[in-house]
Amino acid sequence: MVTVKIDGIEVQVQEDTPILKAAEKAGIWIPTMCHSELFEPYGVCRLCSVEVIRGKRTRIVTACNYPVREGLTIQTNSAKIQWIRKIIMELMLSRWPNVKVVSEMAAKLGVKESRFPSLERDEAEDACILCGRCVNVCREVVQAEILAFAHRGIKREVVLPFGDQSNKCIVCGACAHVCPTGHIKMVVEDYKGKKPEFTLGVKTPISVPTLQAVPRVPVIDTESCIYFETGGCQTCAKVCEPQAINYKMEDEIVEVEAGQVLLTTGYDLFDASKLAQYGYGRLDNVYSSLDFEAILNSTGPTGGKVVMKNGNEPRSVGILHCIGSRDVENHPYCSRVCCMYALKFAHLVHDRTDAAIYQFYIDMRAFGKGYEEFYSRLLDEGITMIRGKAAEVVERSHGINGDGSLLIRCEDTLIGKFREIPVDMVVLCNAIEPRHDIEAIRRIFSISKSPDGFFLERHPKLDPTSTMSDGIYIAGCAQGPKDIPDTVAQAGSAAARILSIIAKGEVDIDPIRAFIDEKYCAGCRMCNNLCPYSAIDFIDDKKISQINDVLCKGCGTCVAACPASAITGKGFSDAQIFAELEGLLAI
Amino acid sequence: MKQYRLQVMVCAGTGCVSNHSFELKEALDREIKKHNLQNETEVVYTGCNGFCGAGPIVVVQPDGIFYQLLKVTDIPHLVEEHLLKGRPVKKNLYTPPAEKTPIPKMADIPFFSDQTLIALRNRGMIDPEKIDDYIARGGYKALAKVLTSMKPDEVMSEIKASGLRGRGGGGFPTGVKWETCKKAHGDTKYVICNADEGDPGAFMDRSIIEGDPHAVIEGMIIGAYAIENVHQGYIYVRMEYPLAIKRFQIAIQQAREYGLLGKNIFAKGFDFDLDVRRGAGAFVCGESTALMASIEGRPGEPRAKYIHTVEKGLWDCPTCLNNVETWVNVPQIILKGAKWFSSVGTGDVSIDPWGGSKGTKVFSLAGKVNNTGLVEVPMGISLGDIVYKIGGGIREGKKFKAVQTGGPSGGFIPESMLDIPVDYEELTKIGSMMGSGGMVVCDEENCMVDMAKYFLKFTQEESCGKCIPCREGTKRMLDILERITIGEGTEEDLLLLEELSNMIVESSLCALGGSAPNPVLTTLKYFREEYEAHVKNKKCPAKICRQLLTYTIDQKICLEIGHGCGVCKKNCPDAAIIGERKTVHYIDPVKCGKCGACYDVCNFNAIIIE
Repeated sequence: MVTVKIDGIEVQVQEDTPILKAAEKAGIWIPTMCHSELFEPYGVCRLCSVEVIRGKRTRIVTACNYPVREGLTIQTNSAKIQWIRKIIMELMLSRWPNVKVVSEMAAKLGVKESRFPSLERDEAEDACILCGRCVNVCREVVQAEILAFAHRGIKREVVLPFGDQSNKCIVCGACAHVCPTGHIKMVVEDYKGKKPEFTLGVKTPISVPTLQAVPRVPVIDTESCIYFETGGCQTCAKVCEPQAINYKMEDEIVEVEAGQVLLTTGYDLFDASKLAQYGYGRLDNVYSSLDFEAILNSTGPTGGKVVMKNGNEPRSVGILHCIGSRDVENHPYCSRVCCMYALKFAHLVHDRTDAAIYQFYIDMRAFGKGYEEFYSRLLDEGITMIRGKAAEVVERSHGINGDGSLLIRCEDTLIGKFREIPVDMVVLCNAIEPRHDIEAIRRIFSISKSPDGFFLERHPKLDPTSTMSDGIYIAGCAQGPKDIPDTVAQAGSAAARILSIIAKGEVDIDPIRAFIDEKYCAGCRMCNNLCPYSAIDFIDDKKISQINDVLCKGCGTCVAACPASAITGKGFSDAQIFAELEGLLAI
Repeated sequence: MKQYRLQVMVCAGTGCVSNHSFELKEALDREIKKHNLQNETEVVYTGCNGFCGAGPIVVVQPDGIFYQLLKVTDIPHLVEEHLLKGRPVKKNLYTPPAEKTPIPKMADIPFFSDQTLIALRNRGMIDPEKIDDYIARGGYKALAKVLTSMKPDEVMSEIKASGLRGRGGGGFPTGVKWETCKKAHGDTKYVICNADEGDPGAFMDRSIIEGDPHAVIEGMIIGAYAIENVHQGYIYVRMEYPLAIKRFQIAIQQAREYGLLGKNIFAKGFDFDLDVRRGAGAFVCGESTALMASIEGRPGEPRAKYIHTVEKGLWDCPTCLNNVETWVNVPQIILKGAKWFSSVGTGDVSIDPWGGSKGTKVFSLAGKVNNTGLVEVPMGISLGDIVYKIGGGIREGKKFKAVQTGGPSGGFIPESMLDIPVDYEELTKIGSMMGSGGMVVCDEENCMVDMAKYFLKFTQEESCGKCIPCREGTKRMLDILERITIGEGTEEDLLLLEELSNMIVESSLCALGGSAPNPVLTTLKYFREEYEAHVKNKKCPAKICRQLLTYTIDQKICLEIGHGCGVCKKNCPDAAIIGERKTVHYIDPVKCGKCGACYDVCNFNAIIIE
């Protein structure tokens, strides 16, 4: 530790601390323009010039990068320093008179106008003031080294390589973030063929993937994280006190030996852009139910405020039921949950805004406990219910005069009229549909699908949680659309089924099953793929197939198929059957 | 080695080469063969002689007969008369201005006789592309002495005692620099030779490299040995010096072949090698931190030197950077001793290394003197002696006005101060500097405002643009000077100019900005009346600033001598001249664009400029 005297105040700091930091400790403000904590001091604006007195020598140095030594006396605001700062501000003001940071700093330092008329005067409010913050952050923090200065002297400017948008730029936006004048802007457009996926707001590469996640641990999106692009940045690791950032963590495959499996693989949301008439993905302010759920969330992109893309509150909101469900062209089934969440949306929008709310429904299916009461309450809140599926959503300019930027066309079947309702915002209640990879999972576990595409249960009434494959159970929307209470009930039942077998410690199996006579098995593997229960494995060492007694249901498919007649159904061997026949014939 | 009766030394410095000295050698070889003299005469290329104004130069040894301004057509006569018959050709000898008798011997010419040669001791004596020539003149003897009989510390103390200071301009004591570098922590250290000579009109380093590259190499090896832990050195040469680069590369190759560079030099277990790095010619790359950034492959921009390069330089390793001329002095100090070196010069360096200026300094003398070229003078010699004795006075008998030392960032020194000695501190005290050794002499026909503007324009264009005072400030200074020279300046402008200059000196990031206003500040100080004439009377006393001149025609001369010839009218691009043939002509001051074409074409000097 060394002691230095700044404007008469003695302060103790580590040796080699920059004067700027020491002054901060002493509570003394020194003006800066090019400085940032993010990178090494650059020392080009010279605004932080101070006088350093060491013995008899007095020097003018920049506070941002001059390392303090024992016994230094520093003057941060002497007449000479004020004079230097004044002329610097005059020089800047003469070139960039309308840049806010420049005029603000000039005002702070008591400079009103410049005595030096400039030929390079730039009237723009967002002119580049050549502070170099973008260049430094790109080089030192991001390490993409895409921005640099070109040309000498007064012609100096910040450029991309060859003055062109370079494909080395990783579009991290760090330069725009540190730019003090707003000269660098981020424009959302197609880049490297990547379209911005989520346009509701800015998302950083580090986020909690689902808001109610347990444990609530943030993850790094390796596709947008600067470190994974350039090896630079690592700002998160620098600020994380417990040093919990691990860049080396990777997806891994864990092998678990399990006797029973409960499949709860969930569902996909119907892609409403397939139904072009509703304008999803094409028109602004048309949202899917999950988009709108994010908007309503207090940690979401809008902080829970119901606003349109332009930031204004909508004056009216239309909620369209059965998008993709109860639709012979897409999914004939009812998604079951939409009516109720649509009512929830209406309630929350009513709660948070003054918007008029319209529900466009085919039938109102408030079937659960307390649901009908909720529906009644909503009617009392003044929600307009229109019975009739919305036909299309168009931009306001295509419709008749009215209030709103979008127009919903529908047939109101209760009054038997064709209606056009102007709204600011449209929320679509997308159908629940089977996951896109459900076929692959089905194959792995040798279970079946019902005609709607969801997993098929063993019995729709008597056994809705287990499947035709022993030990494989299903629950939740993987089995069919259902709401949370139903899912919880089904999952609980499945868990109980699994536990009962574990508690017993043994499995009862039917006595009827097939077995392979090793002497005759040629190892042709024909039976392996035929077995509907995946009960036959091929033993590599012995080059023969073997039947897993627990899985075999004794269906006899393999018995009939084996070309060597090596497989026999227990209790159904040829000898036994012939003996039985003989016994019958003997009578 | 073969002995010759005569050796014809043809100067192959850049100045003489551009005046066709290569063709001279071809002609010489041809003529010598014709007279069958090839077994008794040898024609040799040498480095720069320094007297570039007299080029192309040929010196015939051993007598040292000096021929100047030769043409290929002079050669047959010269070979026949001198080489064959032994009679020097008077026509091509040097005759001092305002005298009639030529001086045949090089050593008797005042330009040469008043110089003291240390850095340039081999000039005109050796073929720079032959290491044997250098060794024959005592080359690499100092290295042998150092490696075989001296410890690094002994070398260090010898250099310190000599009082040698940086010849690149800063004047930092070399011994102190080496010692700090030696004490700095680090297993890898570097030495660098700064040959990025960027001053307009200066060519000291270039001529040394082109004439005596091995001396630089020898100095660097000795420096590396003294600093210790140095196994790699770099020579940073600008791309504009292709001959210097070529000669360095040849010299390095030869030194490697002789085992003077590389592993285990002199079998003493000392490893050191050198590489040439080519700069793209930015003036600012002569600044040490910018130079190192350039070697590292980054843009050549300086950084704050609060942590010195001797502690954290090239690739953050301790680095000792010296100028070409500094390195060249090192072998001579080792050979002849610190005492010999410090006997020349001013002050006392035994206690305070900044206490005086020792040894010699090479200047490139340019401008309005009779003898322009490269001169090496002892420290302490007065500026007047350089201008009048070595430089031979002002051309055409005109009046001396000022001398500018130290390159584009140096100051102008008026006549009243011509007796001050060449010394780092003395020059700095009067607002100029030693610099790397540019010296431009101005006579009465030079406008000081215009000169200041010229040099400021150079530094302003060469500013890297990193810091605000230098980038914005020098441009605003130039704007003001521009205004003054076109007659739009005011008296407030002079105060503003002075204030801005002082501020730039105080607050710039590197020495380029810190010294760029020097020409303006010194001219404002010593020639303020010229500025005042520009702003108050809107006149340029030296008649240089065209926008301030008025052109008129002397009616008497025009009519009586010229008979109204009308040439001026014909050549006037602005059609500003009125008058019929055989009558008096007039200039319409409103139309006159002040181009000066009429002045140039008038055969009777009838055009008057005021």
